[in-house]
Amino acid sequence: MMRALSAARPRRRAATVGLALGLALVLPGCSAPTPAAAPEEPEYTWNQMQGEKLIALRAHGDVTRGAIAFEVCQGCHRAGALGRLDGSYPRLAGQHDTVLIKQLTDVRAGRRVNPRMLPFADRHVLSPQDIADVALYLSKLPSPPDNGRGPGVGLDAAARTYQDKCTRCHGDKGEGDASLFYPRVSHQHYRYLLREMVEIRDGVRRNANPRMVEVVKPLTDAELDALADYMSRL
Amino acid sequence: MSVARAGLRAAAVSLLAALLAAGAPAQTAPPEVVQTMCQACHGLDGNAPVSAFPQLAGQRPEYLQKQLEDFLAKRRVNDAMAPALEALNKGDIPAVAAYYAAQKPKPAGSSNERLLAEGKALYDDGNTATGVPACVGCHLAGGVGNERYPRLAGQFPEYAVAQMKAFKSGARSNDKGKVMRAVAARLSEQEMAAVAEYLAAQP
Repeated sequence: MMRALSAARPRRRAATVGLALGLALVLPGCSAPTPAAAPEEPEYTWNQMQGEKLIALRAHGDVTRGAIAFEVCQGCHRAGALGRLDGSYPRLAGQHDTVLIKQLTDVRAGRRVNPRMLPFADRHVLSPQDIADVALYLSKLPSPPDNGRGPGVGLDAAARTYQDKCTRCHGDKGEGDASLFYPRVSHQHYRYLLREMVEIRDGVRRNANPRMVEVVKPLTDAELDALADYMSRL
Repeated sequence: MSVARAGLRAAAVSLLAALLAAGAPAQTAPPEVVQTMCQACHGLDGNAPVSAFPQLAGQRPEYLQKQLEDFLAKRRVNDAMAPALEALNKGDIPAVAAYYAAQKPKPAGSSNERLLAEGKALYDDGNTATGVPACVGCHLAGGVGNERYPRLAGQFPEYAVAQMKAFKSGARSNDKGKVMRAVAARLSEQEMAAVAEYLAAQP
């Protein structure tokens, strides 16, 4: 994982990582050494490298321990982390470990607000090492193309929108980019994709990349619906 | 045969007998505290005679051990357990846990099929509307549990419901990671009754 990280922005990231991890080690139990700006504040920086996210990213994950740590998650995300067809719980199988670490630590820090999940993912349940373990375990699980799909309306226009606006980050086949924390969207449940895009557009989900917010901002409900449907078929 | 040789032979025989006794399965004889204390409420074979007290037969030994340690340390409190805890030494705990874990469970059983079906649905699928996770995620299919989560199969519904309510109110707080309290907080009384009915029928 560190290879993927350093491939992204070698020198600067290494320096930031070293500084932030140093601070975290000096202050044990203090997961955010310098209080980060909340998502709605102007100085908010997307995916700031600090605190337990850094610790989890630098830890060596273990698949066997990850399977055990995942037990508490599978009541909702289901065995095999396939999620639910109705999108009430997303598929986690096959997602990039970096993405999972970012999202889990964002939920814990309140950057992504998810009161339903938080009691099962908070610090008294999972340590940063557990996060690294469970992320690695999930990233290696198979994600077959049996995910929830939409009604199949407006797919041609959605395909053009996807090619035009989404492929740069999420890839031609929806594969995302582990080194840049861009999620895999292929084989994800349609209703989950739709809900998240609407919430990012409407400012309900506030931990998204600002470029992602810009892309979805002008899209209507109908356009997002078709786009989610298209992505679920990648 | 010389006296010395006879003595050696006798010593060898008694050593063998001692080794055989030590190597015998722990579950053949109940530990003393089980006979003097535990069995009054939980039964000698861990199948409680009254539904107010939990079935222990076949329970995961790790869980039994943790609960007994928690009772001794007052991390879990129950008035009915108080006299037994006075007689229980910390050193007895592994043998008591291993003994009850090795007993054959007799499921409490269910007589309400409609409620049982409702409970099975909640156990296997949870409640996506209210965020109740499926119980099967941790307690596994049929409520058999594992090294980290207790067995629930065959338990008395009265006891299971009482524990879910205690987790919900916070009266019981020795759950790992506050996870069971978070689940119970989202359970309705109807859901508690239904899932307990389902569990009672599991072998």
